[in-house]
Amino acid sequence: MASSVERSFTAASTLDEAMAARRQGAAVLAGGTWMMRDPRRGIDLPEAVVALHRIPALSKVEIEPDHVVIGAAVTHAVLGRALYGAAGFEGVVAAAEGAANPGIRRVATVGGNLCALDFAAADLVPALLVCEATVELETVEGPKLLGISDFLKDRHTLLTDGIVTRIHLRRDLVASAHIRLPLRKAGDYPVAIVSLAMDKDKRCRIAVGSVEPVARRWTALEQAMRAGPASALDPERAAELALEHNDFQGRDGKEAEGWYRRQVLPPLVKRGVAALLKTGGLA
Amino acid sequence: MTVTFQLNGEDCRFHGDPMTPLVDILRQERFLTGTKAVCREGFCGACTVHVDDEAVPSCLKPIALVQGCAVTTIEGLSSGNHPLHPLQAAFEAADAVQCGMCFPGMVMSLSAFVRDNPHASRPEIKAAMVGNICRCTGYERIVDTVADCLDQARKAGQLVGGVHV
Repeated sequence: MASSVERSFTAASTLDEAMAARRQGAAVLAGGTWMMRDPRRGIDLPEAVVALHRIPALSKVEIEPDHVVIGAAVTHAVLGRALYGAAGFEGVVAAAEGAANPGIRRVATVGGNLCALDFAAADLVPALLVCEATVELETVEGPKLLGISDFLKDRHTLLTDGIVTRIHLRRDLVASAHIRLPLRKAGDYPVAIVSLAMDKDKRCRIAVGSVEPVARRWTALEQAMRAGPASALDPERAAELALEHNDFQGRDGKEAEGWYRRQVLPPLVKRGVAALLKTGGLA
Repeated sequence: MTVTFQLNGEDCRFHGDPMTPLVDILRQERFLTGTKAVCREGFCGACTVHVDDEAVPSCLKPIALVQGCAVTTIEGLSSGNHPLHPLQAAFEAADAVQCGMCFPGMVMSLSAFVRDNPHASRPEIKAAMVGNICRCTGYERIVDTVADCLDQARKAGQLVGGVHV
């Protein structure tokens, strides 16, 4: 037990307090499920830490008629319960309820999922990508709002002094789905994740997680699917298009090699489109 | 840093590294060795305890985050002077325990689950055990026992861990 370590720990009760600690170099601690495993990865725990769990505004899910605001310190378990039954957020709920295991889901947070830079298999990231979420950060220049794709692209820089505070979602989806492929049903990191959503114009959005180091939208497939009529949305056809437009470079990892992650995508798209059609009442 | 919390109903104070995993304090300072440190990654569930009544992995819980919280370990679920928790009694009666390494974590996860889900189905019981790995693969007897325990409690209108079922 490293009880002799002189480590600074701030349990911030306001965002200003958290930012002050951040300016002095403190690392942000959310649920701890990623950071606490740093020693297992050969990384020392940070010398200064600021925890956000005592900031009330960051632990709330606000559901309004046209939008939802999720505090960065909201856990997967709380998020899944809060959005359960909300039309269009089936994918986010499935991601929140299917990630890791129940004990982790009671602890791991939305903000932690978005900010764990080396965690390619974060379930909420592709689910939030297809929602076209907006990420709110507190920075030294003040609050900043960014589209989630831009946030993911620049998060190394953004998180050097910023803190993710909230996630904003529009309620403009008809249906969504979240398909994950772990090697075992229980507990594993997924080999690949496909999140799908259908907007009010019946256009399909697709994002992929765990295949590459950072989750991203599958724009080539989205465009190919939009070339056909929305009424023709078909799981088999979507899988064919996924095979044709597979532009992913699979990452090698403990759970699977890159080629396998890439190769499983078409069947996952097929399952996802079937789930989407069923959820949207179109099957 | 000094952290104060309730441990099995008693005041507890820790002074040291705020990022020390809760499991290490339980085992090495408090000698509560029922909580097992096995994978230390939140995958196996052997270190599960209740923090403010929620079943969580204590290997990934920095002690600073339990400031002001109530922590219950397997030793605190029922003391030696009191009857076992109904689920513990059911496991004992069904001889569901094998090597015992995973079992404290199983009991801590499932005792919270039956309290919150008195009408749980068999698939829901299995889903609740996803984070508790048993190397003896004794899952089916555990699932059977939880299902029987809930069923009997429902028929009798009794409590399982504090909730009428």
